[in-house]
Amino acid sequence: MKRWIVMVVISCVLLVGCGDKTYVPREIVGETDVCKICNMSIVHNEYAGQIALKNGDFEMFDDLGCLMEYIKANGENEIGAAFIKDANNDEWIDVFKATFIYNKEYWTPMNYGVLAFKTKDAAVDWMALKGEGQVLVYQDLQNFNWGIHQ
Amino acid sequence: MMKKVGSVLLFLLFMSQTVYADFDIQKAIDRAKPGATITIPAGQYKGNFVLTKKITLRGIQGTELVALGNEPVFRIDGGSTVTIENMALSGNKQAIVASDVDGLELRNLNIKDSHTGVYIQRSKNVHIQHIEMTGNNSHFSKKGNGLAIFKSEDVVVEDTNIKLVQDGIYVEEVKNILVQNNRVTNSRYGTHFMYSSNVQAFHNTYRNNVTGFMVMMTNDIYVKDNHLENHNGLNSYGMLLYDAQQAVLELNTIMNNRTGVALQKSVGITIASNDFRMNQTALEGIMVKGNSVATNNQFTGNILTARADRQGFLLTNNYYDDYSGIDLKNDGIGDVPYVAVSSFGQWMVRQPVYQYFVASPSVVLLTSLDQQINKTEKTVLVDVTPKLMTHQITKKNETNFQQLLIGLLIVTTSMWLWKRGVS
Repeated sequence: MKRWIVMVVISCVLLVGCGDKTYVPREIVGETDVCKICNMSIVHNEYAGQIALKNGDFEMFDDLGCLMEYIKANGENEIGAAFIKDANNDEWIDVFKATFIYNKEYWTPMNYGVLAFKTKDAAVDWMALKGEGQVLVYQDLQNFNWGIHQ
Repeated sequence: MMKKVGSVLLFLLFMSQTVYADFDIQKAIDRAKPGATITIPAGQYKGNFVLTKKITLRGIQGTELVALGNEPVFRIDGGSTVTIENMALSGNKQAIVASDVDGLELRNLNIKDSHTGVYIQRSKNVHIQHIEMTGNNSHFSKKGNGLAIFKSEDVVVEDTNIKLVQDGIYVEEVKNILVQNNRVTNSRYGTHFMYSSNVQAFHNTYRNNVTGFMVMMTNDIYVKDNHLENHNGLNSYGMLLYDAQQAVLELNTIMNNRTGVALQKSVGITIASNDFRMNQTALEGIMVKGNSVATNNQFTGNILTARADRQGFLLTNNYYDDYSGIDLKNDGIGDVPYVAVSSFGQWMVRQPVYQYFVASPSVVLLTSLDQQINKTEKTVLVDVTPKLMTHQITKKNETNFQQLLIGLLIVTTSMWLWKRGVS
């Protein structure tokens, strides 16, 4: 009997250790959340981003450009997950899997002009309604010239 | 009896309905020759009016315009020299939207019940004066800006009084703007400059906002003689310069803020002759570069004078009320350096929540140790020429004869009573 109990406990520990930790985005707290990079209070929630760190902390951002600046400065090693709001429906989506579109005329809180969508189709549909942009993926954002574009 | 009560209620209901004036504003605008002045009689008007030519619209006392639906009261498209003055405006989204106008003048307007007061884009020679705007008590994310100006040139905003909005005056991609004598209270930011150049802000009063001045990615800034007070929320600043270049901040009164002035990623900032009073942290610098200096300022009653990362910034010739050195040479300059270096301050830069321990005994002890250890530092938060008192207020002795008489009377009466008691 004792042997069985020990085996069950070991199996549980192994299963927990092997399982991927899931990261869930947290709600924006309007009263206290400010962008980790530029210090702006987050009032345009539909453009916000957040990073769930592996240590359980969250870093909040008012714009995708600020989130990318954080990743550039700190690397990806400590990041559990990164989320950005879908420009279509204000829902959190995975930054690493999202499709992005850029046009200098798209307004964002830092005026970087990059919007995020869950799928490429959603981005294309959005552009058909609101105006053409340049389609980008996460890798493109790493070398993107963040800042105002004349 | 019931009939009478019903009649009274019906009468009150009828009387409470708004009666709209019958002057047709749009027709008058359409018929007017370019350059004409239209005077709108007193009364309440409902509608959305479009201006596309040179014109002056002037209200008189009691002229009030209310927008229909989500369109603004006035939409100004193109044209030159448009003036709107002396009226009250209400619009669900915006009261005024102006695009591509050369010569826009807005004067003496009272804006209420609007998400955003005035929205201006791609315009030149804009003069906004005497605007009263009151937002509502909802969260900043639910309301718009008092005045929002985008991609414009040569703008003056003066004598406005704005409260309870997101940003009092929001300025994005504007060249040559003067913001003066404005008052913004209980909003997110008093004035928010983004991507602008040649910015001047004089004699403004900002109180009880999240932050007084928010200056981002802007260059050639001159901020003088402003009063920034009571910005003391968890993330509040009297003034925050983020990625700003070439700024002079002088003769401002910065009091009772969580952080008086913060510089982040900024270059070439001169902070001169300001009065920092009773702030939790007077000055903060993170990644400050290029000859940034704080000089001839007066620091009184602040919990922490300055904090910075390793790059720091230069302090010189300032007055510090907690300076404990002496002046044997009697030249007005302390003989030993003032050390503002604070290990705890640097921790607070990384973790703002540490601010709640700021005056605890262990922090005070740590700060004292810092001051002893860092006296040899030359560049980082050490002022080698600290000023002793910069100016003293001398007040003549004045005699208040009323108080003197009452005092004499009380003394005489007391002595008389005492004497009677003794005898």
